[in-house]
Amino acid sequence: MKKKDVINYINVFLFLLPALALFIFILIAPIFKSLYYSFFDWNGMTDMTFVGIDNYKELFTSKPIYFWKSLGNACLLAALSVFIQLPISLGFALILGRGIKGERPFLSIYFMPVLISTVVIGQLWLKIYNPDYGLLTVALQKMGFADLCKPWLGDERTALMCVFIPTLWQYVGYHMLLLYAGVKGVSPDIREAARIDGASESQVNRYIVIPSIKPILKVSVIFAVTGSLKSYDLIYVLTPSGGPKHCTEVPSTRLFEMLISRNRYGMGSAIAVVMIILCFAFALMISQAFKERDIYGK
Amino acid sequence: MKRKLLSLLMTGAMVLSLAACGGGSTGSTGSTGSTGSTGSTGSTGSTTSEPSATADETIDTFSGELTMWCIATESDSNRHSYEAAIADMAEKYPNITLNWEAFENESYKTKIKAAVSANDMPDIFFTWSCAFLQDFVDAGRVYCLDDAYQAFKSELPESMLGNSTYDGHHYGVPLTMNIVGLFANMDLLAQVGYTEIPGTYDEFIACCDALKAAGIIPFGCAGKETWCVTEYLESVIEKSVGADALNDIFLGRATWNNADVAAAVDTFQSLVTNGYFDPNGIALSNDEVKNNFMDGKYAFYMNGTWNCADFAKNEAFFPKVRVGEFPVINADKAQLGQLIGGPSDTLAVAAGSAHPEVAAQYCFELGKLICHYGYLDGCGLPAWTPYGDTSSVNGLTQAVAEICGNATGYVLFGDTAMNADDARTYLDYVAMVYGCEVNGQEFIDGLTNDIR
Amino acid sequence: MASDTRREHAVEKVGARKIIIYVILVLWALLNLFPVYWMFTFSLKTNEEIFGKNLIGLPWDWKWSNYASAWNTGHMPLYFLNSVVVSVCAIALVIISSMMATYAITRLEWRFSRHVNAFFMLGLTIPIHASIVPIYVTLKNMGLTNTYFALIFPYAAFSLAMGILICTGFMVEIPKELDEAARIDGCGPWKTFGVVILPLMKPAVATISIYSFLQCWNELMFANIFNSDGKYRTLPVGVQQLSGQYTTEWGPIGAALVIATFPMLIVYIFMSKKIQESFVVGAVKG
Repeated sequence: MKKKDVINYINVFLFLLPALALFIFILIAPIFKSLYYSFFDWNGMTDMTFVGIDNYKELFTSKPIYFWKSLGNACLLAALSVFIQLPISLGFALILGRGIKGERPFLSIYFMPVLISTVVIGQLWLKIYNPDYGLLTVALQKMGFADLCKPWLGDERTALMCVFIPTLWQYVGYHMLLLYAGVKGVSPDIREAARIDGASESQVNRYIVIPSIKPILKVSVIFAVTGSLKSYDLIYVLTPSGGPKHCTEVPSTRLFEMLISRNRYGMGSAIAVVMIILCFAFALMISQAFKERDIYGK
Repeated sequence: MKRKLLSLLMTGAMVLSLAACGGGSTGSTGSTGSTGSTGSTGSTGSTTSEPSATADETIDTFSGELTMWCIATESDSNRHSYEAAIADMAEKYPNITLNWEAFENESYKTKIKAAVSANDMPDIFFTWSCAFLQDFVDAGRVYCLDDAYQAFKSELPESMLGNSTYDGHHYGVPLTMNIVGLFANMDLLAQVGYTEIPGTYDEFIACCDALKAAGIIPFGCAGKETWCVTEYLESVIEKSVGADALNDIFLGRATWNNADVAAAVDTFQSLVTNGYFDPNGIALSNDEVKNNFMDGKYAFYMNGTWNCADFAKNEAFFPKVRVGEFPVINADKAQLGQLIGGPSDTLAVAAGSAHPEVAAQYCFELGKLICHYGYLDGCGLPAWTPYGDTSSVNGLTQAVAEICGNATGYVLFGDTAMNADDARTYLDYVAMVYGCEVNGQEFIDGLTNDIR
Repeated sequence: MASDTRREHAVEKVGARKIIIYVILVLWALLNLFPVYWMFTFSLKTNEEIFGKNLIGLPWDWKWSNYASAWNTGHMPLYFLNSVVVSVCAIALVIISSMMATYAITRLEWRFSRHVNAFFMLGLTIPIHASIVPIYVTLKNMGLTNTYFALIFPYAAFSLAMGILICTGFMVEIPKELDEAARIDGCGPWKTFGVVILPLMKPAVATISIYSFLQCWNELMFANIFNSDGKYRTLPVGVQQLSGQYTTEWGPIGAALVIATFPMLIVYIFMSKKIQESFVVGAVKG
């Protein structure tokens, strides 16, 4: 009995070994280093000065750090992602996963924006938002709404949404593909059986498909939320200095600003630590939420 | 031919006599593959160089490889000057192989900082002077160039080393230098009856009013990249308070708490509120603004003189553009000839290099050549004393050279002069001024409090 | 009669719905195809056209020379090869290690499986920028900078959490009875893993490949910092190299981006067929 346990654990260990080795060397060690650095005032090069939790204090209390604002924006993006982007992705996944004519070309096309470099997507949206000759401006002028035109990315009332829309749009295909894989995984027999029992398409989706792709749905929600908290690329391309009055800041742009632009390695590490904790907490909460629903739902 | 002879004459190795120079280059064929100084001394066959070469390596006796990182990427206008300079060096020193890599500007900043942190730097690296290089120097990762400089004193004025001198020691080899120029589209100025860039501030404002009345936007400025706003703001401040006062503030010798600066900031803001700036500029990048300017959308564009090369390349636009100096606002404190800019592009040598002396000598000679070719290409003004035939330099760059010839004082770009953290705080406030969120008084109060 | 008309109504309704659905699908498709069209035309334009004169039209003068300059100056073939090597190795590493880890977590019975799973999920949360210097120092100490491994290991590590998440999603769907049956037949865990589980995980392989590929192919920050030798440069760094501090010609950058992206799009279109087939296989067997 005991010997069997030992063998079992050895097997477990061996199965985990490659993943653990990668993980600990490349991901976990740096986290602890970041945690350590976050208690210092350090420019990344010269001597370090221990400052205790001063970095964290400044992070949460000093206005010029714009951390609360950036967190608020990230949460807004996460909410938009879960409640607008994911339903759209799910809708397309259900339609395509059901098996309609042109399924494959549509699937391929919808995924294309994900494959295209952020530089291109960013440049494209810059051309859309350009206040002089941008597509949006020209379209509004042609339709007779010239008054509505404004420097979209330069106006604090519009800049945030202008930055979020491409971010959300680009990854619809990403979530769609993930969910589509799940939808395709639902056995056609079950589907057929439900149809024979007289269930409509939407009923099949609601009572059979969606419950059975819950594990993948969970993955999607976690990606959407943690991805939003970490989002950086497009936001940086569209508003390199944080937008008018810092209205498009997200935690990653603040992290980058502290770490790279300001050489404040300690403060940057503190932001990283807070981001890691937040992402982890959200991921756990989402997992928990899906588990709760299991108990009642199944 | 003349140029080659001159550079030969000026090399640090000249101390070893010209015979040693020749010996170095011929001897290298026999010494390939050998490491260090012993191999090359054995093969030079020149008795004069033997003792000193064993004492320490020189650029002539050394045989091996050096590495260099820079930002002269394929589409950078400096690319050609690097390639030409490196080719010349390879011809002159066949004993040395330079392995060089170019990286994109923004990502290079991250890369070099990470490399300094990990102490994993190339022998020679590109850097910006003042605060950017200072962090590396403070960390003890940069090789002191005082000794190597002695041989180049006559060609490289010590005044040009100011931005890369810390505690009296030199750590950088300046390449080209640039200033902020007031570029003007003369076609547009002609439409409102001006044939020259107005020389006094009152005339200048009258000109802006006339342009505005004619439906022409006077200034283009990229609000999305705050450094573009500083090109205007710093000129206005300097021409109000004088170069010395601004230098003192930028270099931390005086505080921001200066009523004249506040007044100057208000002056700048009045240019914004009077509608002289393109209102859409707030949402534009510099690339977009620059293209608008070349497209005839703005009468003036204040930006670095590195733009000369680009303007010169645009055949349709080049005949229309002129460059001038921003007029004096307060003649009691400021005067013409006080400019924003100075040598910032710099090469430095890593302290951890395996052959620092060789790298240092190489670095000076290479820097001189890059500077020379860069000037010929119109990429900027030479930090080194120009030599050879420079009549092929484009007219705009020559006009800039003339402005610099009359210069009485330089103030380096604020975000280069200040350390990274302060510079970002400063840029934040500049953006607020441009967005009219703070006035001059709030600007100086804020900076007095927030600069750490 | 009555039932006939009702059926007709129903057919009509279904027809109308179908049309609406197709209209939506096509509109969305156009919206997603536009960037591809735009990127292609932009790669053939001059700076003037790109900045305002000709935003979305076809190029006035098809500047194929942009491709020549991107191809000649940028060492694109080499960078392309490097990107392929790095991505493929990283993906292979992710697939192997995440499959094994997921098997241990979901199929083997031991006390801390849940904790270890949560531990791996930490990987989803780490912002890439914060780890640059620590990873750089680690890689340097192991002598891995300026090798393919400098990118393969970090890429694999950063995709691992996602790989495990996706694997878990697929693996819990496989009935436990199969393991039981295998055990009764005398298979140990390794044999069960190799013979029973792996063949059923094909759709997961496709999904993980795509997602890891996305992470690796466009990654810029690590690629730029960990390798300085041009021999190991990947495409995103190569493309970026086309923009300079003082001058930037956007046409050749567009061309380089097309060179970097189009082969991938084509591969994806072919692969998507394969993926779907494997989905169907998974569905039937599941």
